[in-house]
Order: sequence, then structure tokens, then C-alpha cells
Amino acid sequence: MTEQVRIVTKNIDIPGIDTFSVYTQHGGFQALRKALAMEPAAVLETVKNSGLRGRGGAGFPTGMKWSFLAKNSSKPTYLCANGDESEPGTFKDRMIMEKIPHRLVEGVLISAYATGAKQAFIYIRGELAYAARQLERAIAETYAAGYAGKNIMGSDANIDVVLHRGAGAYICGEETALMESLEGKRGYPRLKPPFPAAAGLYGGPTVINNCETLSTVPAIIENGAEWYASYGTEKSKGTRIFCLSGHVNKPGNYELPMGVTFRTLIEEFGGGVWKGRKLKAFVPGGSSTPMLGADKIDTPMDYESVASAGSMLGAAGVIVIDDATCIVDAVSRMEEFYRDESCGKCSPCREGTFWLAQLLERLAEGQGRADDVKLLSDICDNMSGKCFCPLGDAAITPVVSAIKLFREEFEYHIIHHNCPLSEHNRSAAAART
Amino acid sequence: MTQDQQAASQVTLSIDGKEVSVPKGTVVWQAAQKLGIDIPIYCYHPKMSPLGACRMCFVEIEKIPKPPQTACTTECTEGMIVHTDTNLVKKARKGTLEFLLINHPLDCPVCDKGGECDLQDFTLRYGPGASRFDLKKRHFTKPVPVSQNILLDRERCIACQRCVRFTHEVAMQPGLIMENRGYRTQVAVNPDAPFDSIFSGNTVEICPVGALTAKSYRFISRPWELRRTATVCSGCAVGCNVQANVRVDKLLRHMSRTNDAVDDGWLCDTGRWQHDEVNSLERLKQPLIRKNNTLTPVTWDEALDYTTSKLKEAAQRTPQLVGAIGSTHTTNEENFIFQKVVRECLGVRNIDHYHGVFPSSAAGAVPWVYTGAIADLDHTGSIVLLGADPYTQQMTLDLRVKKGLRNGAKITVISSEPTHLDSFAHQVLTIKRGSEAAIAKALAYTVIEEKLWRGHFAENNTSLIQSHSARYADYSPERMEAALGVSAAALRELARELAESSGAIVLYDELTTKISGNETLAADVFDLGMMIDLITRKNSGVGPLFHAANSVGARDMGVLPDTGPGYVKIDQPGFDYNAMLNGAVKLLWVMGANPAKHMEKPDMMKSLDFLVVQSLFMNETTQYAHVVLPALSYAEKIGTFTNLERRVQVLHRALNPLIGPRPDWEIIKGIASRLGVKYSYRSSSDILTEIAMNVPLYAGMSRGEIGESGKQWAFAEEKESVSAQR
Ligand SMILES: Cc1cc2nc3c(=O)[nH]c(=O)nc-3n(C[C@H](O)[C@H](O)[C@H](O)COP(=O)(O)O)c2cc1C
Ligand code: SF4
Ligand code: SF4
Ligand code: SF4
Ligand code: FES
Repeated sequence: MTEQVRIVTKNIDIPGIDTFSVYTQHGGFQALRKALAMEPAAVLETVKNSGLRGRGGAGFPTGMKWSFLAKNSSKPTYLCANGDESEPGTFKDRMIMEKIPHRLVEGVLISAYATGAKQAFIYIRGELAYAARQLERAIAETYAAGYAGKNIMGSDANIDVVLHRGAGAYICGEETALMESLEGKRGYPRLKPPFPAAAGLYGGPTVINNCETLSTVPAIIENGAEWYASYGTEKSKGTRIFCLSGHVNKPGNYELPMGVTFRTLIEEFGGGVWKGRKLKAFVPGGSSTPMLGADKIDTPMDYESVASAGSMLGAAGVIVIDDATCIVDAVSRMEEFYRDESCGKCSPCREGTFWLAQLLERLAEGQGRADDVKLLSDICDNMSGKCFCPLGDAAITPVVSAIKLFREEFEYHIIHHNCPLSEHNRSAAAART
Repeated sequence: MTQDQQAASQVTLSIDGKEVSVPKGTVVWQAAQKLGIDIPIYCYHPKMSPLGACRMCFVEIEKIPKPPQTACTTECTEGMIVHTDTNLVKKARKGTLEFLLINHPLDCPVCDKGGECDLQDFTLRYGPGASRFDLKKRHFTKPVPVSQNILLDRERCIACQRCVRFTHEVAMQPGLIMENRGYRTQVAVNPDAPFDSIFSGNTVEICPVGALTAKSYRFISRPWELRRTATVCSGCAVGCNVQANVRVDKLLRHMSRTNDAVDDGWLCDTGRWQHDEVNSLERLKQPLIRKNNTLTPVTWDEALDYTTSKLKEAAQRTPQLVGAIGSTHTTNEENFIFQKVVRECLGVRNIDHYHGVFPSSAAGAVPWVYTGAIADLDHTGSIVLLGADPYTQQMTLDLRVKKGLRNGAKITVISSEPTHLDSFAHQVLTIKRGSEAAIAKALAYTVIEEKLWRGHFAENNTSLIQSHSARYADYSPERMEAALGVSAAALRELARELAESSGAIVLYDELTTKISGNETLAADVFDLGMMIDLITRKNSGVGPLFHAANSVGARDMGVLPDTGPGYVKIDQPGFDYNAMLNGAVKLLWVMGANPAKHMEKPDMMKSLDFLVVQSLFMNETTQYAHVVLPALSYAEKIGTFTNLERRVQVLHRALNPLIGPRPDWEIIKGIASRLGVKYSYRSSSDILTEIAMNVPLYAGMSRGEIGESGKQWAFAEEKESVSAQR
């Protein structure tokens, strides 16, 4: 039996760990103390050597990202923790923020110290009211202890941390839209270049990292780069919190070293597909990553293996789809999400998601027309690579990957004006009664 | 910049096999423009920052991953190879158009924009022939008013954000915003800032589709019914370059002709839409003579014979009792021939116009005019508005100041009244009415005391500085602080800034000089400019902001009692405007002016023995007239105006002239010929030729030389020395 490896989620189940005192009793803020005794450059070097890659989706090496920060800007450097977590299928950042908020605060402080940012922001998704309260309190306690603000822990370091609640938009998780939103503007993604590292928030050099990424930093500082790098695979180092959801018996967050297979996650940790059904497909990294067929279940969960299987590890939101699921229906629901969350800035995404969602809806209802699958694919092609920001590409991913895997099922809906599974469902239901 | 530096800041790229060199930082769309290669755009606008939203301007660029790219956001790099016509590009553009059309109402037959709409035009050129969309379109209530003059049809909107960005970036009055997201995205009025800008009409013009329409133009015309004439707005002294749109015999609107030097591509709403004067049904059509105390229609011959006999008789007997009032709304040609006939044929010296002689304009041979260029505001370091509010008088100049601000200029407003630019200025100094001249003097004092003078003129003229130091001795900023309550430190700092900055512009409203206390304002500001080299320094200038379309032209042409055409001094000046109206003359000839409107006691007019008025309408003055001669409006005639930066611009005939009225120059010519002087002018061009030959400032000015974008007469450097000796 494989065990979880608890690095980010260490001590998370200890009662009261969401308070400053319990957190510190269990070694909390030791890493911050250690970091403050080091040169910032040395902290950055440690993170670089650990092989830590961003947990927000793109998997960009964190230390390298930090080292890109413009050195001679006239404006201050900022650090932003991205807690907008809105990708369907992900709920790990929320858990960290709700259950062990001080770890994120500690990670933010260390990272700000390493990057020379005197001002850090934690941008939290608007809907996460409880997590926001938890963080608010954690930040206040940290300040009260003298661990944030002026002369942190008696050192020369000054770092302020401010929590900012979003107004509830998926796009605000995109780093440049997040900065716009933080500045009090409408959450539209910005033109790049300039990249945030050169001119980001308020025009200053800015580093943006995912909450989990930043919450990993304390452990790396405490135990060293080599220790961290000893987990995971050659190229995908360390652990990740996999968010397991969908048609599975035991959904939840599981922190595992990278390289463990989807089968292990789904079957050992998740207790297998629910209701005794079979696996039809699974989404490996959140709704924006291409779904994979059941045949890919033995793929190791690391960046490279998932990529060669034809998808992405993304934000590690694993969604299990059982064989009683109408794939057209499932994709239709996903597309609704993108239609509603498109920021509306660019034409292909604003109009394309609207069109796709309507087409899928009519397909799922058995009202599809002869060329609809071809049309769906061509709409996706006209969006692919042509939208302003990655959300547009994300929006076509479920459609493209589902058509690739289940083309006949789409066509069945058109030819028979019905779902192949509805009969299956009906007979199954009849058997039950 | 040396040649090497210039070469280093250029990049060379190829587009569709043609090479082009452009400055670093230029986007691919601009480079293609230069080559005459058309790349369709919706969201991009050359006067606003790139957005990259519409995804229409696709091109393929070799070696850049993930083709295609957007030409409006991609900066040119050395050796870049761009293709605008590949299959990939064609499919992508077609895709975008299809997306834009799925929710479009396709109500082109009743859309004002139909016929001049980029959505129609690009669909024809790049779009799909048919739609594959067979589902439910999105609907919005429509149209909704977004301002008093503009309506929004959200179903036609393609969300390019041009309108919104115009209000935020260009006008800096953020009246419009984008609301909601995704497919519900729409333009809306900013709940915190009403859309009441005087520049709102520009959004209608730059909207690529028919989403924003002007109330005054809705359902009035099809674009192909319009006759479009390149001409100049006569609304104010800026002289924005416009295309007059006429349907049958009505001037419906002005659209911008984009002369970057003058208007930067923008118009104000008054200039764009207010054409009542031209279109009015109340226009005078026949000459009138007062008979039995009522103005009675007569023939032109009768009216001109009668007028001439009256003028001739009086001029022969008592020329000192004859007066003439010219106009800031008639052309240079008309003002020129007017003063010529008055002076040469009648031998009358009393000539002026409303806001002609100013207490402080007596700068002798120096033309009293802004010495810089409007476009200098774009890249200057410091702008001082001393009792001036362009937003209310020289409208598009306000956008120019804001552009300068965005480019880094420091703005200082010094005024006794709140001005529109107060909230944009780095510094607002509120002063007592009439102390503008004292402020200018304090700045001059500081220049002398702190030895801030610069430039060849001041440096080679120790005597100038000496005489000025006596003249300004009593105006130290500290004394001004005690007397006027303006911070001395701020004045000193401002003087240093003006002296040291890369460029500086000091402007005051023409009427500010009329306020008691400001008698020397024009001279003081000019002295300041001379001492710190604001006349010849790059991106610099000083001077008045005039109000009327041809304020400067009327002065240039010598419709002034003390100077003839080209500011040639007249030995024995005649009576000025006020004197003439206050009883100094008994016979008055008025061209294109309405003095009674501005008089405290218009009944003074009754004391005139004879009053002849050339006018478009019956007005306050004509009611006292003995003869009224109906004139044509600027839109019906040809001629030139000179704007506030000394730019001579050509007016073209946009409207068929009304039958009956005549252009003012023709009326004057008719009077001259009855006086026995036969001019051979067949058109106003002939008069311009004469002006060019006789007035050195206008040397070489001809319709061809002036061209489409106008020609500035040079504020000659030698003139400085003239002023210094006054
Ligand atoms: C549409 C969209 C939504 C995103 N949402 C999130 C999010 O909720 N949280 C997050 O950490 N990153 C999100 N990202 C990725 C961020 O842009 C950014 O890459 C990330 O925060 C960087 O952090 P990392 O390097 O630690 O992964 C999103 C990206 C896109 C395009
Ligand atoms: S792809 Fe375009 S419309 Fe979609 S979220 Fe990004 S910018 Fe907004
Ligand atoms: S109203 Fe016109 S200019 Fe404004 S966003 Fe819509 S299409 Fe663009
Ligand atoms: S600013 Fe003056 S010239 Fe320009 S459009 Fe307005 S009225 Fe006409
Ligand atoms: S014009 Fe380039 S994206 Fe709109």
C-alpha cells in the first residue's frame, strides 16, 4: 500500500494547527527564521536547486521564475500568491488556506524575502469566504508576533502581507488578470510583453506563484534542496497534492510524490470508481487539460509522462468519469463553465464559447444536426491559438479531447437523436426496481 | 541624434516580400501601413495603445511559435519575415469574422453605418460568405441612450473597446466602461462618471460598426448619399480638419480628416454636430433697405448702389466719421479686400474687429500670436495655462494638453476660475482675477534674479536683461506672495522648471488680457519667453489662445486700426472698435459681425446716420441697419482661415450656395466697382495671390502650396529683436 508523503500537508490534521500557537509548537516559522539568517540569494538558490515547479498549472521552475525578476527597475518588487483556485476539479489551495493558513503565510514571507519584495499580496477567490477569514486571522497573528511587517523576527527584513478578495472570476487566476484585479480594475488579461517579472503589478517587477507552490517553500528551506529533490521523479521533483473528484468512492486531496500512477491514486486512495462502475475516462489536471481514456490509467503522474500520454498534469485536478456518463452531456456542462467564465475580451473566446455551449447543449438533447461534430471541431480550430489568453485554448480542450476519444458517441446523438447511454441507464434503473 | 544612432533605432523587416525600415517599437500593422499593405483591424486604433482583443489583424510571422500572430500587438524586429496572405491567415480572419457575426443582428438595411462599416467591408473582403450559426442569438434591449447625443445598440457592438478606451485614454473622462463578462459583455455608462464629454462624438466616428450612433444623424442618410468635402471646421481657432458630409442641401456632420498637426484626428461635439447656422431656414436671401422705417427687400443693384453712394459721400466729406468692422468669421481674402477697400478706396482709417485691439497687444510690429505649434504640446516638458481653459474655447487643444500630460509634461494651471484641466494638473495656483500679469512678472523677475536666462538671444543681450531687471524689479515672488497669496516657492520652482525643461509652453486666453490688471500680460509673457528661449527652443512657445476660427487671420490681414496687412505699422491709427461704437463715427460698415450683441447699450447704434451690415441672419445689429446685405456661410464658399498656431488652411465649398446671398468678398468687390475701382478678382484665389505678393508673412501661399494640411507662417526670429526694442 502506497502512503501519502506529507510535505505541504504535514501536520494538517492536528487539531488547532490553524492557530499561530499550535502551528509554531509544531515547528512553524522555523523555516522563516532559518531563511532570514541566510542571504536572499541563497534562499533563491535553494529553491532553484530543489527542482520545485509551479503548481498553478504551467509547471514553470519556481527558482528560475524568481531569478527573472528585473533587477534595476525604479519601481518596487511585488510578490503575489495566487489563491484564485477556480479550475473545475481543483480544491487543494482552498484546503491549505482553510486548514493550515500559516504555512502559506510563512511561504509567502520566505519567498518575498528571497525575491526582495517588500510587499506581498495574497489574492483569494471571492467565493472562499471561510478561507479568507482563516488567512486574515493567520496574517494578523503573524503580524502580532512580529513575524511580518517591520523587522521581521528582529531582523532587518520588512515585508508586508495583504489579503485581497477577488470578486469571483475564473480569469482572475490568470496572472495578468489577477494583477489588473488587484489594481482595482476589471479582470482582463494584459498584453504580454511586458512580462510580470519585468513590469507587473503597478508596473513593478512581480512574481506570481500558486498557493501550493509557496506553501512548499518552507519545507524546502527547512530540509534542504536535496531532501526535496529526493522525492518524485528525475524531472518532476517533489510531491503534489492531487485533487481527486468525480465518480470515485473516496474523493479528496492526496499528497503524493510525482510519478505515482493514476491507477494508484484512483484505486488505492480513491477506493476505485463508484457504484461498481467502470472507468470511462479521466481528466488528469483540471478541466483545462485534455481528458484521457481509461487505457491511460497506468500513466505515472509526472509532467513528462502525462505529456507523452497526450495531456497535461496542469493543476493536478483528477476528475474520474464513469462509464454511465454521457460524454456529450459532461462536455456540455464543462463548456457552460467556460462560456460563463470567458472574460469577453477577445472575439474567438467570447463568441466561440457561446456557440460551442449552445451546440453541445442541443447535441446532448438529441437535437444535433448532421454536420455538428465537424462544426464543433472547426469552431475549436478557429479558436485554437487565436485567443488572447490561455483560457480560450482551455475552453476547447474538453471538446477536442472528447471528440478525439468518443467521436462515435457524439455521432450517435445526431443519428439517433438520443444518447447511447440512456437505454443503458433505463435498463439499469429497471433492474434496480 | 547621429546617423548611427538613428540606424540603430531602426529595424528592417519584410512583409509579403517587400522590405521596410521602421523605428524600433513599431507594431507590424504600422509597418504594413507604410508599405500600403492592408491588414484589417477593429480594436486597434493608431492613436490608442494596442489591445489585441478583436483578433482580426492576423498575420503569419516566420520563426515565431504558435502562428498566427496579431499584427497590432507584435513589435517589428530586425529581419522579421511577415506574411499577410497565407491560408492560415485567411482561415483565422474568416474565423474571427464568423465569430463576430454569429450574434450580430444583421440589420444593415436600417443601420446608419451600413455602407461605411468595417464589419460589412471586412466580411466582403475576408469573411465567410454564409453563416453556419443556426442557433439563438443573444439579445439586448436597444438602442439605449448613453449620452444626450449618442445611442448604443449593444447587439451591433463587437466589443472592440475603442469607445471605452477613447474615453479613458484620450479624453481622460472615463464615461464608458465594459460591463459583465463573456458573451454578456457590453458597453455601458460608467456609474461613477457620466458620459458627458464634449468629445463624445469621436466614439461614434471610431466605432467600427453601427453600435454607437449620433442622435442627430440617426436614420437621416445613407453614407453613399453624402457628398464629402475636405474642409476646415469654423467652430473655433483650432481649425480642425474635417470632411463635411452633406446630403442634398444639408450639412449633416463633420468627420475628422485627421491632420495630426492640428487636431490629432479628433473633433469636439460642437464642431461635429452643430451646424444650425449653416442649415437654418432663417437665412437671409435678399438684400434689404430700410424704407419707411422697415427693412424692405430690394435687388442687389439697388442695395449696392445705395450703400456705395452713402459710403462715398461720407468718405469724401468726413472720412474720420466713417468706420468699418471686420470679422473673425470671414476668410482672409475677405478681410484683406475689406480693409483694402476701406483704406484705399474710401480713404478711411477707422477699422477694427471685435476683439481686435487689446490693451496689451500693442506690441508694435510683433505679431501678437502663439509662437509655437499645436503639436509642440505633445512632447513638451511643461505646459502653463495662465488664465486659459481650452476645454471651453479651443476644445481639441484640451486633448492635446492631455496628450502632453500622458507623455510626461508637467501641467500648471494658474487661474482665478476653476478650469477643466485642474484635476489633471500637477499644480493649480488659484489667483485673484486680473493678477495673471503679475504672475508672469514674478516669473520674469525670478529668471533675472536667479540668472535663469538662456538661449542666444538673452545671452547676447546684456542690455535686454538690464532693462528687464528694471521693468520687473517690483515683482519678486515674495512680494507677490504677500500681495496675492500665491506661494513664492511655487513661482520660483515654476520659473526654474520653465527655464530648464526640455520644452515649455505658456498659454493664456486672449480675453484674459482684457481683465483689468492684465494690461501688460501679453508683453510680460513674451519677455519671459524671450529670456528663457521659449520662442526658438524645441517644443516650446508662448502666446494667446484666440477664440474664433479666423481671429488670427483678421489680425494678419490688418483689420486693425494700427496695423495693415502683415502687421505693418500705420502712422496715424484710426479709431478702434470700442471708439467706433461709442459715437466716434456716424457711418458704419459691418462685415460678418454682430456688435450690438456685445454692447452694453446697443441703442448707441441708433445714433448712426448710416449702418450697413453684411450678415447671414437678421440679428441684434441688423435691426438698426439701413442696409442689410445677405452673405454666404463658410460652408458655401472658398477661402482660407488662419488658426491659432498661424496655420493657413483652405476652406472648400461643402454646400451648394443659397440662391441670393453672396460671398462677402464679392459684395465688397461690388461696392469697390461702384466706387470706380475695378478689381479683376474672379475668385477668392485671386485675392490670395495678391495677399501672397503683398504680405511677406504670406509669401508663397497659394491653394496648392497650402494643400490639404495647411501651412504655417513662420514666426521669424528677427521679430524678437524688434520687440526687445519697444
Ligand atoms: C484562465 C487561467 C486561470 C488560472 N487560474 C489559476 C489559479 O486559480 N491559481 C493559480 O495558481 N494559477 C492559475 N493560473 C496560472 C497562473 O496564470 C500562473 O501561471 C500561476 O499562478 C503561476 O504560479 P506557479 O508558477 O506557482 O504555478 C491560471 C491560468 C489561466 C490561464
Ligand atoms: S481568451 Fe479572450 S475572452 Fe477568453 S478569457 Fe482570455 S482574453 Fe478573455
Ligand atoms: S460600441 Fe463600437 S467602439 Fe464601442 S466597443 Fe462596441 S463596437 Fe467597439
Ligand atoms: S475644436 Fe474647434 S475647430 Fe475643432 S471641431 Fe471643435 S469647434 Fe471645430
Ligand atoms: S486589431 Fe489586432 S487584435 Fe484587434
